[in-house]
Amino acid sequence: MSSSGEVLAELLWAEKYRPKTLDEIVNQEEIVSRLKKFVEEKNMPHLLFAGPPGTGKTTAAHCLAHDLYGENYRQYMLELNASDERGIDVIRSKVKEFARTRVAANIPFKIVLLDEADNMTADAQQALRRLMEMYTATTRFILIANYPSKIIEPIQSRCAVFRFTPLKKEDVVSRLKWIADQEKVEYDLEALEAIYELSEGDMRRAINILQAAAALGKITVESVYKVVGLAHPREIRQMIQLALAGNFNEARDKLRELMINYGLSGLDVIKQVHREIFSQDIKLPDEYKIIIADLAGEIQFRLVEGADDEIQLNAFLARLAFIGKKLKS
Amino acid sequence: MPRKIPWIIKYRPKKIADVVNQDSAKKQFIQWLESWLKGKPLKKAALLYGPAGCGKTSLVEAAANEYKLEVVEMNASDFRRKQDIERIAKVAATMRSLFARGKIILLDEVDGISGMADRGAIDAILHLLEVTKYPIVMTANDPWDQKLKPLRDASLMIAFKRLSERDVILVLKRICQAERLECEDNALREIARRSEGDLRSAINDLQAIAEGYGKVTITLVRELSAYRYREYAPFEALQKLFNAKYIWQAKAAVTQTNIDYETMMIWVNEHIPTYYDDPEELARAFDALSRADVYMGRIRKSGSWDLLSYVFDMMGPGVAFARRIYKYKWKIFRSPKRLQLLAQTKRSREVREGIARALAPRLLTSKATVKRDVIPFLKIIFTNNPKYAAKIALGYELTEEMIKWLAGPKASQVLAYYKKYKK
Repeated sequence: MSSSGEVLAELLWAEKYRPKTLDEIVNQEEIVSRLKKFVEEKNMPHLLFAGPPGTGKTTAAHCLAHDLYGENYRQYMLELNASDERGIDVIRSKVKEFARTRVAANIPFKIVLLDEADNMTADAQQALRRLMEMYTATTRFILIANYPSKIIEPIQSRCAVFRFTPLKKEDVVSRLKWIADQEKVEYDLEALEAIYELSEGDMRRAINILQAAAALGKITVESVYKVVGLAHPREIRQMIQLALAGNFNEARDKLRELMINYGLSGLDVIKQVHREIFSQDIKLPDEYKIIIADLAGEIQFRLVEGADDEIQLNAFLARLAFIGKKLKS
Repeated sequence: MPRKIPWIIKYRPKKIADVVNQDSAKKQFIQWLESWLKGKPLKKAALLYGPAGCGKTSLVEAAANEYKLEVVEMNASDFRRKQDIERIAKVAATMRSLFARGKIILLDEVDGISGMADRGAIDAILHLLEVTKYPIVMTANDPWDQKLKPLRDASLMIAFKRLSERDVILVLKRICQAERLECEDNALREIARRSEGDLRSAINDLQAIAEGYGKVTITLVRELSAYRYREYAPFEALQKLFNAKYIWQAKAAVTQTNIDYETMMIWVNEHIPTYYDDPEELARAFDALSRADVYMGRIRKSGSWDLLSYVFDMMGPGVAFARRIYKYKWKIFRSPKRLQLLAQTKRSREVREGIARALAPRLLTSKATVKRDVIPFLKIIFTNNPKYAAKIALGYELTEEMIKWLAGPKASQVLAYYKKYKK
């Protein structure tokens, strides 16, 4: 950790070491070179950036805008996040308001950045498509999505689609190494490799793990696992075990603790449950693990479709308790 | 702890004389029953009608007890399937053997049939009246529906009147004595007044207070009335739902209540484990409720409100008929913990939201992602490295409350550094 003393304020490394310009982006070379063309031409179509979390989609959009407009690019860009904005009406009025203001002297358009666009319903996307057409003279949209298939066809056909690929191990590890060197923290190389494995190619997550592990001291494989363990409440496993032992009520209390104290959403819980089911600590015959995984998938689908977290997860736990009972007898 | 028997069952009248008031109804009923026993029934069926909780079913049971008859209760919804009708008709038409006891066939709450809009059920009952060798008793709160006319014509109509406050108080006093309960007179009067002649609900109220507090005072009754205002409606709806004998009762419990269905769903979600202990029943009940919730989600998404009926089907009958055998269970249904917890943790959730709002634009991501992927790691830094945490707090201008929330037990250390650096 730098202890220079002059600047006391510290930032999260995910912000501190985020590339500011297209030149600073070290991977996704092909995408970057295409984006640089837009900067040269001072023109671009609507864009759709698709790919897994933490592969640099949002960062690339900001770098592109930076290179187009310069340091103060954010005044020419409207940043929206579909999962935080309440509905298409809010988005429509913000876009309308934004489109009315002046454009930069040398670039004839402004940018609307809509992150997590695949969280929008099909109806909202239709309305979005009309918005894109209405303001096409003065604005360009950059849509960001994890799953391009969840973006409706009429929008896809109006955008240049960029597919971001999962980051390669050497890319992630070398970036982590570089950050650790900048911060003058000690580390074991295996620890950085462990971070890559645990973060599944998600750079933001990898950097978060790195920084939390560094806060504990030298970055070792142990400290990395400790950090990830702490970040993943062990209540998930306890909850599963309680339910399988037939203690439905206690399992339900654990669920409430997770959702209220840890602030996990139902989706967070069911995804972590899915990971836990196949771990060695959950003692179950394999065929039951498959039945439970199938059930978890159904519950996850229902939650994505807008079902109630607590009711669906209670139904899941009740089924676990029933399976537990069948196994005992 | 002794198993709790619902008092409405424990203190059910054993003798006809124990049935409060209703002298004229009693006289008519006994006359009719004796005409049957002599082999020359006035009419094959009697239809007892009157407001809820005035003693219709109690009189049938007390009479059966005195005349040593067996009550065979029929489920009105059984009358929808041909093979069920034949089965019941066979039972009813079989002459009693030398050793068997006589029977009364009881069809409770036949006014529910009109709710099923089922002509076939009425025909089936009429057929039953033709072949029966035993007296048939029907009960109804409101027998005047047009669809019930054939049943009215075929039955001896026996009216039950609404019980007076005095009648209700009398019974409540008897129960208090038997239970050795300390009861204030004006408390019993208040319970009776609010029951509006429904003895069953009065006894349920008495039991709720007695079991909650061990005594019955006017203050407690008034509190219950405040409680009732807020919570009695769901409480009553749940009692009806879980103890429903017939599909239509379970459906009525969730549709004919003034609680909105989303609140009702939260209450049912809370109390499935209150009512069901058996894991299989529990799993089936939750499965049904989760289906109701799926329909609810589809309605929200598509605006197809005609799906609401399926929400009620799954939340009402779906949950009630998760049981393997029917058994009346008296349970206390308290206000859902979920609502309390949400109220208690409101501040904490607001702080987390505030942190997410401060960080999301800086990290170029959504608040949801910050809550899920960033805050857990931030918490690790704040609880393990107070000095470094204070610098990050400075970097994002976190408030004292946010620092306390993130640092937990290390809050004072982080705050000490924070104040030192800020100067």
